[in-house]
Amino acid sequence: MSMIRRLKWIGALGAMLLPALMVCAEQRFPPPDFESGYTLPSPSTPPARALWLQYADTGVFLAALAVALWLIYKKRSRRGLFWLSLFSLAYFGFYRKGCICPIGSPQNVVYALFHPEYALPVTALIFCFAPIGAALFAGRAFCAGVCPQGALQDLMLVKPVAVPPWLEEALGVVPFLFLGAGLACAGAGTGFVICRYDPLVPFFRLSGGTFILTAGAAFLLAGMFVGRPYCRFLCPYGGLLRLASLASKWRVRVTPDICTRCRLCEQSCPFGAMREPAPAEIHPTWLGAERRRLGWLLALLPALVIAGAWAGSKLSPAAAQLDPGVALAERHARQQSHPARYGFMTPEALSLQRAAENPGAILAAAADMRRRYDLACWLFGGWMGLVIGVKLLALSVRPGRTDYEPDRGACMACARCFTACPNERVRLGLAPAGEGSAPS
Amino acid sequence: MNTPPVHRALALTAWIAGVFCLLVCGVMMEEHFAAGTNEPWTSPQLLALREKLAAEPKNAALQKEIRQLDLKFRRKFRRRLALDKTGGWLLAGGGLMLVLAAARAAALKKPLPQPQPEDGAREQAVKQAARARWSLAGAGLAAAGSLLIIRLGHTSVLPANPDAWQKLAVKTGAPETPMENAPALSEFQANWPRFRGWDGGGVSVPASNAVAGILWRSAIPLPGNNSPIAWGERVFISGGTAARREVYCYNASSGALLWQRAIENVPGSPPKVPAVPEDTGYAAPTMATDGRRVYAIFANGDLAALEFDGSVAWTKYLGPLNNPYGCATSLATWGNNLLIQLDQGGSRPAGSKLISLQGASGRVLWERPRPVPASWATPIVIEAAGKTQIITLADPWVISYALAGGNELWRARLLENEIVPSPVFGGGLLLLISPGARLLALRPDGAGDVTKTHLAWASEENVPDIASPVSNGELVFTVTSSGMAACFETRDGKKLWEKELGTDVQASPGIMDGRLFILGEHGPLVMLQAGREFHEMGRIPVPDKFVASPAFAGGHVFLRGVTNLYSLGPAASGLARQP
Repeated sequence: MSMIRRLKWIGALGAMLLPALMVCAEQRFPPPDFESGYTLPSPSTPPARALWLQYADTGVFLAALAVALWLIYKKRSRRGLFWLSLFSLAYFGFYRKGCICPIGSPQNVVYALFHPEYALPVTALIFCFAPIGAALFAGRAFCAGVCPQGALQDLMLVKPVAVPPWLEEALGVVPFLFLGAGLACAGAGTGFVICRYDPLVPFFRLSGGTFILTAGAAFLLAGMFVGRPYCRFLCPYGGLLRLASLASKWRVRVTPDICTRCRLCEQSCPFGAMREPAPAEIHPTWLGAERRRLGWLLALLPALVIAGAWAGSKLSPAAAQLDPGVALAERHARQQSHPARYGFMTPEALSLQRAAENPGAILAAAADMRRRYDLACWLFGGWMGLVIGVKLLALSVRPGRTDYEPDRGACMACARCFTACPNERVRLGLAPAGEGSAPS
Repeated sequence: MNTPPVHRALALTAWIAGVFCLLVCGVMMEEHFAAGTNEPWTSPQLLALREKLAAEPKNAALQKEIRQLDLKFRRKFRRRLALDKTGGWLLAGGGLMLVLAAARAAALKKPLPQPQPEDGAREQAVKQAARARWSLAGAGLAAAGSLLIIRLGHTSVLPANPDAWQKLAVKTGAPETPMENAPALSEFQANWPRFRGWDGGGVSVPASNAVAGILWRSAIPLPGNNSPIAWGERVFISGGTAARREVYCYNASSGALLWQRAIENVPGSPPKVPAVPEDTGYAAPTMATDGRRVYAIFANGDLAALEFDGSVAWTKYLGPLNNPYGCATSLATWGNNLLIQLDQGGSRPAGSKLISLQGASGRVLWERPRPVPASWATPIVIEAAGKTQIITLADPWVISYALAGGNELWRARLLENEIVPSPVFGGGLLLLISPGARLLALRPDGAGDVTKTHLAWASEENVPDIASPVSNGELVFTVTSSGMAACFETRDGKKLWEKELGTDVQASPGIMDGRLFILGEHGPLVMLQAGREFHEMGRIPVPDKFVASPAFAGGHVFLRGVTNLYSLGPAASGLARQP
């Protein structure tokens, strides 16, 4: 590498680190100093970390991502990926307690876009975009060995059963809808609902509410028979990686050589990502019907987006109540018309008392939030229409595959299918040469 | 086919682990639901007792009963937490065993791949795609239905248009304290009710006597950088340390300390106060009065309203305040409104806000968040463009708010650095200082961002960094920390004169009877002609250190030194010294 190029890299790295130095650990309010010896518990889980440790986490994360790529493409090693995912589960899951993780990080980015006063940490930026960058070039390497949620579900997998394709496709839009909802809330400024409703993080933290623990347990139990149900049917970041992977430069291939169409890999993927080659001949009468359907669906797409946006805008009064400020304003206003009796000194009673003291401020803040939600819900509704419309279109386009290969978006690059291929077994020396040759 | 013994053993292990997990789960759930309302913060029994105690606060038996019950519930709660933790680990162990055994058993029975003939693959693919489209449409409808249910389940009682919510605030607010008749404007003008006089401009009404020397001086019990305020025969200042905050009332004629009142037991205020830089201290903000009560705020966030006889009318805790140099912005009054500019944050905004309180009750009339970090300038209230406007300064915005309702009227991005000097209004222009950078004149009308449209002029000469400017309408006077005084035309910013005074200055200047008063950091009080040409009219030596600005009332000048409060007036002879 030339000196100029090296200097450019150092300069770019310095520019990235500079903003982080400016926002380094500043205690917003000094905590009270208890004289009884009581130690204040950390207000956040996991506790705030020194800046250098955050960079160390980022370094470990990038290294794990690089190792995953090497294991998938260079070593083609399922065993290596298994050990890497165990490490990720231990480090990013149980040690770092699931935070910071890329799944919630798009919310940080969107929050920063709509709230200029928020300093987006460099670490959040890297955690958000590094896996997407990797997916743009080489698929879902993050899901393969770096994601602790994925690793936990992988460990639970006992006897995978195939999800019917029609159900798989229908449930496949849920991550995109969850992504839209999460980003809408983050943009409005209410909080990070993707993190709040992550069903697996409570297991890393060994604590959580009843609802979320039950949901997490349900996912893990389902994960014994359905490969990675959270990743496939809920994870919003998985949705983003899925999109990025569709445009990836390199892709995971089952065979290291020529596909013999032996179909031995057909059942090897527990995530329903394996796709058969498209039939060569097409019935001429179908072609016209398919084209007409495609035309109709193309025309339907803008209508779905507009209808979604309209429906979303109607959701705003309810969705805004996710915000504690709006919820308090609602409760305060409701209290005037239908007074409810709350327990003495309960949080509800105290909050109402405070609201009555300064209703103007409470209502002004709530009104501001409601306006934000008006826009957020409008965008969310439009996004919902777009996702469903595009998915309908995708299901109406004939694939052009010639080999048995994993679907680019759905493939989690777990490397399970590699050893199902006779050519791979020959390459590994597990089968005699000639077993994987093309049929005559 | 015979089942291998290893498989049987693994399957049995998996079953046992599964049953074990179910049992543990069952016990934990039973405990969870049995706990029900037996928690210290939800128990109806405990809540009822607490409510009873609120009515009979001195009932010792009731207090004891509550404590015992609370302790019992807390113990139960801790026991349940411990049980949950143990149960969690048992579940983790059982689950691991179940998964390992079941996965191994499943692997032993895994069938070999047996690809079947691909008859009708095309038809199958077409059928699957059709089914997927229908199921997707179903999923879309289900999602829409879920959203509809959420919408119907969370009805809003608030008006659809958020702009109408402010009206609701008036309807739903706490019962209002009856509005008092505020003193007439002439009364405010005759007195010195806030930092730099009734309108914050530093100009006093004409007085009949000339200031010639010190009339009296009186010791100040606790330190503070706030300036005196005066109403009738009373002069008020505050003082404070980490241990104690107080308000003092002196007799304006004799200097006698009429009363002193400690501000303590403010609801919500933590006993331990935050550390504040020594140069700022705990009592930097100047008090304010509306002619009915006096108001004081301290660096720990305590705000107090006191009657003129020294009794406490109400107190409020506004902290903790996040200000790197400590809170120093003074209070302002206008009619019955008490205005507090609470700008907070280091280099970024952190909860900055402007608050309007009803003086009589302390009730918040409105509160507006501000997009600025900490500042130290005091807001002023002006009548301009047919509106009563509150003018606030902070880096980088000059923002005007309507006194009624607090809505933002306009803003201009003109300021930089740490904003200490306060604005003044003279000759129809707002005169502002961007410390060490520019003296600015701004037209106070318009709407939205007026940065590019309303700046009348700017000067980069002799720009102070601490002291505020003062204007008699025709001219603007400034003084820098090094003691360089200067005079500018208000109309166009043309500099008319500048003069080195030979003394450091931190206090803001004032005008009375056509004389410009500039107080040196270690004295003297320099008197200049407030005119187009420089003319020094005299100097009165005052042996103290001065950071606070002078107050002018009844023809007297009140100075707050580090150790004493001084009154300067016509008679220099016979200095009265109060203990």
